[in-house]
Amino acid sequence: MDVELIEIQEFLAKHPPFEQLPTEALEPLPRQFKVRYLKRGSAFPPNDDQAAHLYILRRGAIELRNAQGELVGKLAEGDLFSDVCLSGVEGGDTGGTDSAGRRSKGSETNKGNRSEGKDSSDPSNKNAGKPTLSGETVEDSLLYSMTCAQFEQLRSAHPEFAEYFDGSTTTRLRKALDAFTEPTAATGGLMTVSARDLLRRTPIKASPEISIREAARIMSAERVSALLLMENERLSGIITDRDLRNRCVATGLSTEQPVREIMTATLSTIDADALGFEALLQMTRLNVHHLPVVDGKRLLGMLSTSDFMRFQSTSGVYLVGDIHKADSVAALEAISDKVPDLQVQLISSGATGGHVGQAVSAITDAITKRLLELAEAELGPPPVPYAWLVGGSQARREQSSHSDQDNALLIADSMSKDDDHYFRQLAERVNDGLNACGYIYCPGEVMAKTANWRQPLKVWQQYFENWIKRPDPKALMLASVFFDLRALHDPAGLFDGLHEQVLELSRDNRIFIAYMAANAIKHRPPLGFFRNFVLIHGGDHNHTFDLKHRGTVPIIDLARVYALSTGLAPINTIERLEAAAETAALSHDGAANLIDAFELINSLRIRHQANQLRNGEKANNFLAPEQLSPLERGHLKDAFLLIDRMQETLGQRYQAGRFG
Amino acid sequence: MRSPTEGHRRQCLRQLDAGPLRDYFGRPFPAPALDYRCVDYVALDLETTGLDAKRDQILSIGWVLVRGQRIDLASARHRLLRCEGDIPAETAVIHQITDDESAAGLRQGRVLRELLGVLAGRVLIAHHAKIELSFLDAACRELYGEGLLIRCVDTEVLARRTFERRNIPFRPSELRLHSLCERYNLPRYRAHNAFYDALAAAELFLAQVAYRDNGNGFRLRDLL
Repeated sequence: MDVELIEIQEFLAKHPPFEQLPTEALEPLPRQFKVRYLKRGSAFPPNDDQAAHLYILRRGAIELRNAQGELVGKLAEGDLFSDVCLSGVEGGDTGGTDSAGRRSKGSETNKGNRSEGKDSSDPSNKNAGKPTLSGETVEDSLLYSMTCAQFEQLRSAHPEFAEYFDGSTTTRLRKALDAFTEPTAATGGLMTVSARDLLRRTPIKASPEISIREAARIMSAERVSALLLMENERLSGIITDRDLRNRCVATGLSTEQPVREIMTATLSTIDADALGFEALLQMTRLNVHHLPVVDGKRLLGMLSTSDFMRFQSTSGVYLVGDIHKADSVAALEAISDKVPDLQVQLISSGATGGHVGQAVSAITDAITKRLLELAEAELGPPPVPYAWLVGGSQARREQSSHSDQDNALLIADSMSKDDDHYFRQLAERVNDGLNACGYIYCPGEVMAKTANWRQPLKVWQQYFENWIKRPDPKALMLASVFFDLRALHDPAGLFDGLHEQVLELSRDNRIFIAYMAANAIKHRPPLGFFRNFVLIHGGDHNHTFDLKHRGTVPIIDLARVYALSTGLAPINTIERLEAAAETAALSHDGAANLIDAFELINSLRIRHQANQLRNGEKANNFLAPEQLSPLERGHLKDAFLLIDRMQETLGQRYQAGRFG
Repeated sequence: MRSPTEGHRRQCLRQLDAGPLRDYFGRPFPAPALDYRCVDYVALDLETTGLDAKRDQILSIGWVLVRGQRIDLASARHRLLRCEGDIPAETAVIHQITDDESAAGLRQGRVLRELLGVLAGRVLIAHHAKIELSFLDAACRELYGEGLLIRCVDTEVLARRTFERRNIPFRPSELRLHSLCERYNLPRYRAHNAFYDALAAAELFLAQVAYRDNGNGFRLRDLL
């Protein structure tokens, strides 16, 4: 055979899953093809093909619609239509079942140019030829086709090719995420190493009953800056150089006193199997320099910041340390300028979007707290107790560098009318300080300096009661930021009661949840990609993919509804989904899939922003499809379909259409 | 050029001795009354050393079968022919076949025998078919002492008829194979050898019939 079908072979090699095939398998493949031409406006798949076929679009465009006539996808050059060959088995996917075990509408909506997790191990595809999707060419189109039997043969001969069609959305998403967060060999490190592996020596332990002097002697002899204090093999406290200085020498306490007097008793520990990064994050958030590592109940050792020295991602810890020392807004501004660098560094060491969100939010928390301290130092102590509340992404610990600020003040009911003067000044100082540090004023004015959001507890209680018991769509849209609320500074514990009350009220309040559900499904994910466009519901094309409003926000909104409908306390989206999986609101599979989809889109978003920051551009949420590999597009499409299905299920459960 | 009739075919059959061309004429031509969708076609292109079939030689032949509305890529063939004498430089620029490659090519008789087997009982598709018909006719006369008769769809003629019927003014360049392929949103191949031109003609044919067919088909006669 001297004929070269090389140009067709080259075309295939550029498109998944054919790119997976070795050259020996790719080279003879074009000879198996038939070529067809469908002028614009023709039915697809062509109804005169006798046997069932797989189609590859060489030129043109095809719109695919479900049984209801809704546009569900659009094929362009290089896209594949395998539904006819894979539609033999009903269902087979996970994630689409709601808690009552009913199948969601998935079987219609879950097929695009990339067929969903049908059980493709069944070669006797007798009812092939009955696709649930039908299409129409919207441009003059040239197609390659091969019979399902040939396709089947190819799949059984090439597992790497078959993988593209096999497995559920679940397994594909998981793989995509693993591939995405695999750290590059050069930077690796904290994302792969466990806390256990970071430990460099056996822990130095003593009893809390020994004298302060004896403790100091042991620390000197062992050359450590912290000593673990054990009681009956259980960790009861820790003492550091700083404690000796601040709590003993500076206060003139006798060194003959038991060390228990000056130890820190409430201790945060980390599991030995946690990632090094998580340990670092915890230390950053708590602003501590030592962290005991435990295996179950057994103490293995202690991590100190010096253990992280060899990893460059340490800067987070030092940033927080610097923030605590900053004595002016200007100093804080200088520190906050470094946050984009931190984000870039974390991404290059393989951090997921979740990790970055935690780290960046920890910095924002620290800056906010420091601004409060500075304001209190200037204005004097507050006349009555108050709590500084943060909302939105900061509350969820999902910030990326320099989001808008969302915050509020909760003041003890004992406040008098005149006290507001103090709190207004406090709020203005912190809001202005945050703005100076790059956390720009909330466009919706959800800030403590806005009088409405600087109120005593009883008013807040009234607010929430109104929102929940007498929901109206407009007010709820504004209020959704208040259903992701966390107390950042609350020495008197004012917020806990309010939070409990909110959850109590919202749980099982079907009307309220129905309104929230209607809101939650307003942000639809795209249908997929079409050439270098993003295809959205209704058939419009966008030039960029809005990673936030069409990516992470739909999942954040779903998680909020699950949490509120079952009275779950977590605020972080992943924690909410994990908690919801233990309730009737969400299946375990559904939760796992949404978490993977969230991590995937969020990581993509963070990486996109890191690239922009690296190039000295301002970070945004708009990604051009040409920046995605064909494979990433496929993964994203899986994520879109999943979100769409979960929205569908939620919408049906609460008949959300009636409340929209 | 008028389409040959069954009478012509039977006459040739009587005059010929046993051989590839007689075998070819042994199969009836597809009837013009047939629905075009039930006919088999051979899309074909030649590269030659010049335009004069009496003097110039065939350098390569590419072809692919079209069954009704489908091109069958399994049938794709590209044959290089051994050429007598040097290839003129002015044509070598176009087809890019070198003397060495041609010297390694197949004998014309062997390729023609294979091709006649493929053409038997089928309709030829070519773009500006005059060249293909005249060279194949000359080759058959030289080898078998009798010319080639075949029913033929000329995609260039179909295109001209479409322009004229719709009263669309056109420049000659718009009748070129690649301009027409572009008009129908067909792929543009980088290689310009006999095979890819045959494939392009086959794809153009599919597009032309798709635009002519209202869904009920039509007779082969309308294409000849």
